[in-house]
Order: sequence, then structure tokens, then C-alpha cells
Amino acid sequence: MKACQRDLIRRIYLKELVAAVALASFVFGTISCRVTATTGDFYGSTVPPRHNILRYVNGDEPQSLDPPISTGQPEARIYMALYQGLIDYDPRTLQAIPALAERWDINNDSSEFVFHLRHNAVWSNRDPITAHDFVYSVRRGVSPALASQNAYLAFYINYAEAYNRKAVFAKDPKTNQFVLEKDLADSTTAGSAGTTSAISSEYESGVVGPESINGPDVKASRAPDTTFHQFMHSPPRLTLPGNEAARNALLTGNPKLQAALAGKEFVPVSGEDIGVEAIDDYTVRISLSQPAPYFLGLLGHQLFRLTPRKIVEKYGEQWTQPEHIVTCGPFKMKDWIPYSELVVERDPLYWDAANVHLDEIHFFVSQDNPTSLNLYKVGEADAVLNHAVPNAWLQVVRPKKDYMDGAEAAIAFININVTKPPMNDIRVRRAFNMAIDKINYAKSRLVTKPLSAFTPEGIFVGYPQPKGDPFDPEQARRLLGEAGFPVTQSADKTFQCKTFPVDAVEYMFNTNSSNRAMGEFMQAQWKQNLGITVPLRSLESKTFLVARNKLEYKGFSVGLWSADYMDPFTFLGLFSTAGGSNGSGWFDPKYVAMLNEANRTLDPQKRYELLAKAEKYLLDNQPMIPIETFAVNWLKKPYVKGMYPNAASLYPWKFVYIERDSSKWDYGVPSLSDK
Amino acid sequence: MLRFIIRRLIITIPTILVVITITWGLIRLAPGNFYISEKAIPPAIEKNIREKYGLDKPWYEQYGHTIWNIVRHFDFGTSLKYEGQSVNSIIARSLPVSATIGILAYLLALIVGIVAGSIAALKPNSKRDYASMALAMLGISVPNFVLGPILILIFSLTLYWFPPSRWNGFPSRNVVLPVLTLSGLYMAYIARLTRAGMLEVLRSDYIRTARAKGLSETQVVIRHALRGGLMPVVSYTGPALAFLVTGTVVVERIFVLPGLGSYFIQASLNRDEPLILGIVAFVATTLLLMNLLVDIAYAYLDPRIRY
Repeated sequence: MKACQRDLIRRIYLKELVAAVALASFVFGTISCRVTATTGDFYGSTVPPRHNILRYVNGDEPQSLDPPISTGQPEARIYMALYQGLIDYDPRTLQAIPALAERWDINNDSSEFVFHLRHNAVWSNRDPITAHDFVYSVRRGVSPALASQNAYLAFYINYAEAYNRKAVFAKDPKTNQFVLEKDLADSTTAGSAGTTSAISSEYESGVVGPESINGPDVKASRAPDTTFHQFMHSPPRLTLPGNEAARNALLTGNPKLQAALAGKEFVPVSGEDIGVEAIDDYTVRISLSQPAPYFLGLLGHQLFRLTPRKIVEKYGEQWTQPEHIVTCGPFKMKDWIPYSELVVERDPLYWDAANVHLDEIHFFVSQDNPTSLNLYKVGEADAVLNHAVPNAWLQVVRPKKDYMDGAEAAIAFININVTKPPMNDIRVRRAFNMAIDKINYAKSRLVTKPLSAFTPEGIFVGYPQPKGDPFDPEQARRLLGEAGFPVTQSADKTFQCKTFPVDAVEYMFNTNSSNRAMGEFMQAQWKQNLGITVPLRSLESKTFLVARNKLEYKGFSVGLWSADYMDPFTFLGLFSTAGGSNGSGWFDPKYVAMLNEANRTLDPQKRYELLAKAEKYLLDNQPMIPIETFAVNWLKKPYVKGMYPNAASLYPWKFVYIERDSSKWDYGVPSLSDK
Repeated sequence: MLRFIIRRLIITIPTILVVITITWGLIRLAPGNFYISEKAIPPAIEKNIREKYGLDKPWYEQYGHTIWNIVRHFDFGTSLKYEGQSVNSIIARSLPVSATIGILAYLLALIVGIVAGSIAALKPNSKRDYASMALAMLGISVPNFVLGPILILIFSLTLYWFPPSRWNGFPSRNVVLPVLTLSGLYMAYIARLTRAGMLEVLRSDYIRTARAKGLSETQVVIRHALRGGLMPVVSYTGPALAFLVTGTVVVERIFVLPGLGSYFIQASLNRDEPLILGIVAFVATTLLLMNLLVDIAYAYLDPRIRY
């Protein structure tokens, strides 16, 4: 009876299963027929929206509408609609174009910038925008209380870094004279060699203040001299940790410093001390602690976009709520449905409102690429964010004329933990680099380009980018042999490296499918060309970052970097951080000196050459393995004009418009060079 | 009965606190924090952030502060990721979205599931039994991350009947696809539960008695059989409804719905502690209350149960 029943049940299930499978295959069959039937020049519908509205799929939910707070790209794009800075980005080249500042003067070593603001710019509540607003916004952005993650971008400004880390000046209470850096430098040159090295190591860890800028040949820019300006150009003051315990720790074991500070009082570095100055209501002067030719391009960043002082002080953290917010960009806030969409509308008060074409922009939230593309395809969105096209869809989407292709100022590389053997041997590091066929890897990734240097390829015009070691398995095996790990070839033509300590290396990555594919490719290359099987270790994203930053891995870890501004230094600076806090543990004062020398060079082409020399030095040391330069891949409808696939995927929205005349549409990728 | 309810409600409070404490501990044990990102930040900036959010204080002080605010003011604090937005306000505005979709999906699942299950049970091993159970089988075995895209592909990308995603309030055409996607599994499950329950009940003595009394088949099924046959469905309703109402991560992500589920997954990935605690506490409370409701419903439906 029991057996019979079971048999019956099995038969019932079998019938159900057959029916279910039949039904499923029917459904899938119909779908696949429909999918293959989709053809045409463009991906999906090309009917322009009825109104002058751009519907843009912007990716993640914005973290905050307070410009200095967020670090992400979705927020950066929203800030570009709502707020303006002194400069803005050219929609094609991303070079600085006038925004709030009509024009500017730069002194001849790029350490001092004077901006002349337009007089007709107002906030969305009709208050005029003045130089004081800019000064306030920068002070607020750098202030330790705001704790902005972007603050480091302002560290080029005189004393900004000291202010941000709550440092103090030392002042003689009787004479009101501050202790200067050079006071200490004098005492150290007179002192023993031991003291000198102590001071230089302090400098590397950022304890002692900014580098001197007042060389004899610095010509001040055309703006009136002020007391503040003289302060900026006086010899740099000594800055010390604000925390008493940290300060005392520094003092003990440094008798010279102790003597210099005896009887002095400590004055906190305040926002008023940092090198931004409103000379008058419409003139701003920025003094840097070091020459930084790329600084102008940085001023379009959200950290330097203006925030309304009165509103911020009145509402505190709540000032960005729709009922309070006051903005200064070409668009102002209209509606915000968190986790769904943010709607901005044209601000008629914007100084250039006549040239703002769109009436509204709808920033859609979508964290799922297929979802974004679906919205685009059915015509509910007019453009999607960069990297929204999944690899599996490229075959279908890429040939379309609305697919946006172009070089991107972002790279993927593999960090090497140089603090642990066997990876502390340059020969081993070079061998692992030369054993990877990056050209084939890039082919498998479809859109990216192979990379042999550390700066992305095809981004910085005129930069004489050096070449790293090419793919050369034979040389790689030779190098490994020299390092004491001979590679042998067995009868079946495969390679073995029996002496290599496989348990001392791993390939660590944060879990996602493209990182896994990358890891598996590298693993296969090393296995095939060196006979070494490096184990893969996959970690959840945040867990991975902690492990990498603390160098809690052996061997290799994945790294990504994208440009903060359009200059090779945004990449090269990564390996100049003190103590090697770059995921590889590599630090070389010689490399830092080479970069500094380059940045002090006035002639741009000469500077590029010096930077390239430094990059070559970096590549020779191989603390990382460059893998690929990314490429932008996104979609925009042909009727969306004035939006370009630039290298940073940032779009100055005022140039964007909806073209209703189909003969003027974009058929293909619009050119990035000026007409 | 009343004493039972009060006792259960009182037990709820310590249970929630235990849930919060365990969650808090788990978050602290997880590596990483809300501000770490691909671009490493200088130590000074990290220190400023830790001071701003009180992370420089000893752990027991932070824990005490969190618990005190929850117990005393029912305040879960401000999201660490979404600056200036309180956890309470995030839950308050995302719950209606999740609840709308969830309740609609469950109602649909109940109606279709019970009808299909009853039809199947009334004539076991017939063609319509196989047909409805085949559909149920499909519903159970096709996960919603497959069903959702298929529905989008058919009804949105090819037929252009419904928008493929995004929330547009209720009622709107945007609701249809997420509700269908979400109800698929529950529909199928309820159909199977109903069929099983009904099959058992229809063979029982009191149904035989009812038939012997000469009641019509409709009356037997609706008034007597269904009441007993739905017991498994009722006990399933509690947890199912709790999970449906508090957001379903996958469906909300596929359809970009601003519901609790979207926030929950993102909060965990962001290590957004206050938001995680708030949502976990809310889900736990809902679950406990739903189970209580189920127990009460049991007493009502089954005369043999007394508290």
C-alpha cells in the first residue's frame, strides 16, 4: 500500500514536472524569438520626450546633496546641476572653463591663483554670490568638524591640511612671534645627523607643516597686496599635533624641538588661516603651499562648489532637505523622492539661464544594469550612466549608433604586497608582470585597452607615457630563475616552478563577477607561463578594502583608480603617500622627490617629461602590475545633444539639449575635439 | 485569551532588544566601516570622521548610547550614509511602498492560490489537478529574479503594456509587474498548502457528517472544508506577510522600488549601522506581531484550540 502510494505520488510529480517544463520552454521560446527580432540603428525607442526634459539613469541613490560630503559619481553629476564652482568643466575635454569666475590669473609657478568673479551671479533665493561665499565654502569643506572625505583635495592650499588635522601653531606669548619651520631647520642643520633624520621622517608623516613657497623668483599675481597675503608669503609657520599626547610624544626624544617650544603657547590652526582670501567682494585669491599646475582643474570638483552660508548655519545637517535647500547652479531642486528620483528644474535666476536648454532633469536611481537598460530601451530614460552596459549585452548593444565609446581616465591594476617575501624581490614582481598577456586579457574584456604603464592610455595629450615591461614569458621565467625559483619544463611542455612558495602568495579580490573573471585569467596566465598556481581569495567589498589597506594579504590584490582631475599626477601621486598607504606598502623617497621636482617645473611640456621619468621609475620598481585602461560604455538617445562620452563621465548639464530635428541627431559617438 | 495576548506582547520587548544587541555585535564584528572606499583617505580625515560619529569612544559607551536612544526616545539615530536623514523617517517613507506591493501580492496569491488549490483538491488526479499543480510547481521552482525579468521582457520590452521598473505611486501601471513577480512564489505555495489541507480535511469525519446531513457540496466545501483546510495557509500567512510587507530585496531591486528591502541590502553593504538596526528591529517586531495574529486567528478558526 505504502509503496503503491509513493509510486502514485512520483507519477503525479512527474506529470507536473513535464507540464511545468513544457510551459517554461514555451515561454522562453517565445521570448527568444522576440529578442532576436529586435534590430535597427538604435537600441530601443527613439521618440524624443514631449517636453524639454532629460531623464537620466544616474546609478546609486545619492548619499547627500551637500557638495563636499559625497565622493561618488552619481552625486558629482547632481552637484554639477545644482551648484557651481569658480570654474566648470568643458563638456568634451574637461578643461577648466569660466563659471562663477569670469577670468583668472595664475602666478608663474602655479602656486597662487586670483579669480575675478562675475557680478551677476545669485543664489536660488536671490542673494548675490560673492567671494566671501567661496571662502566660506572652502573653509567649511576642509573643516575637521565636517569631516569630508574629499578634504584631501584641498590640502594643496596653504595650511589647509594643518587645519583639517586640528594642528596648532606655536607662538611666543611675549613677542607674539610664531615659531617658524626654518627656526627648527636651522637648529637641526646645526644639530646631529640623528636629529635631521628624525625631522625628515616627521615631515614624511605629515607632522611638520607645508613646504616653503616663497622662492626669490615668485612674481605675485596682479592683485593688491594684503596683510593676509603677506602672511601667506611669510616663511611657513611650524605646525604641531593639536592633541597633547601626540605632541608630547613628538617632543620627547627631540631636545631641539623641546628647546624651540619652551615657554610657547599653542594656537589652533583655524579656518581663517588657510590660503583662501576674499580680496574684495568679487575677487578671490588662493595661495597654495606648493606649486600645483593641475590645481585649476581641481576647482570644478564638488569640494570647491559653493554652499549657502546662511542656510547651512540655520538648518545644520538638514539644510539639503527640499524645503530648506538653496542652490547656485544652472538648475534648482524641484522634487526628491529618495531611492527613486531627484528632479531639478532650470533656475531662471542663474546668470547664464538664457543658455540653459533643458527645463528639467530627472535623475533616476537604479542599481541594476539590466534595469537601467530596460528603462532606456522602452524610452522611459534618455541616457544611462557609464558602465551600465553589462558585458553580456555588448554584442547586441555595441553596434548600435547610440552606444557611447571612448577612453576613460580610470585604470585597473594589481597591487603587490612588497613587504613580504618572495614579493619583496623586484625580479619576482617583474616576472609576474611579464607573464601576463594583457592584450589578450583586454580582448576578453571587450571594451578595455591593455595597459603597460600606470597612467591611463590616450587621456593626457602630449604626455610622453613610458612603457612598462612587455609580455615576455621567457624573460619572466629567466627572472624567476635569477631570483632563486627556477622554472623547468616537463615532457608534456608544461612549466613547473617547484621551489616557489605558493603558500606565500594569493590573489585577493572583492567579490563581483568581473573581478573573478580577471582573477581567473591571471591565475591561468601564471600557471601556464610560470608553472605557479596562485590561489584566489574572494572577499566582500568592505572586508577586502580593510585587508588591502592594512596589507593583510600576501602577494596580489586588485586595485582600481580613477582620476580626480585631468593630470597624470592624480595617478602617480597614489604611490607617493607616506608610509606606503597605497595597498602595496611601497614607498620610495626618491620617487617622491622626482614628482616634486616635476611639479615645481613651470614649463608644462618639461613637467610632463619629468613626470614620465618618475612614472618609469615607478614601473621599474613594479609595486603593482598595470592591467587595463577602462573605456566608457553607456548609451544616450540620438536626440540628446551636448552630452559627450568624456574621460570622467561628468556632464556640464547646461550644454545638454533635446534635438527634435532628426537630421541633426547624433549617429554614432560625438567627437570629443572642439569643432 | 486577553492574558495570552498581553503576555506575548510583553515578551516581544526583550526579544527585540536581544535581536538589536546581536545585530549590533554582528555589525561590529564585520570588517570595514561606512566610510572606507576604493580611494584610501588620509589618517587625519579618518580621525575626523570617527570623532564626528562618536566612533572614537569605547564600545560599551557607543552601545549604551544606541540602546538608550532606542529605548528612551524610540530614536534609531541618523543614517551614516545618507547624511541628515533619520532612520525613522527612512522607514516611515519606504514602508508604504513595500507594504503596498507586499499586501497586493499576498492578496493576489491568496485568491489565486486558494481557488487553484481547492479546485485541485476537489478532484485529485484529474486533468485540472495536474494543470494547477504544474503551474504551482513552476511558481515554486522559478525564483523571482528569473520571473521578474521574464515578465519585463514579455509585458514591457515586447508588448509595451507596463513600464519595466520604477515607482509611480499607487494605483499606477508600475505596480502590476512587481506584484505579479512577488506573488508567484506565494501563489504556488498557497495552492499546494490549500490542496494538501483540503485533501486531508475532505477525508475527515466531520465532512462525512456534513454530507450525511444532506448539505450541498458548495456548502460543505465553503463552510466546513475550507475552514479546516486553510489552517496550514493561515500559519504560513504570518511570516509570509511579515516578509512581504517589510520588503523583498530582489523584487525591489529589479523594479527600483524605494522600499525597505532596497534600503536594507544597501545599508548592510554600506555598514550603515543605525539604518541596519532600525530595519532589523522593525522587521523583527512585524514578524513577532504577525505570529501573534496567526495564533489569534488559529483560535478563531479551530474550535479545538484554546489559550
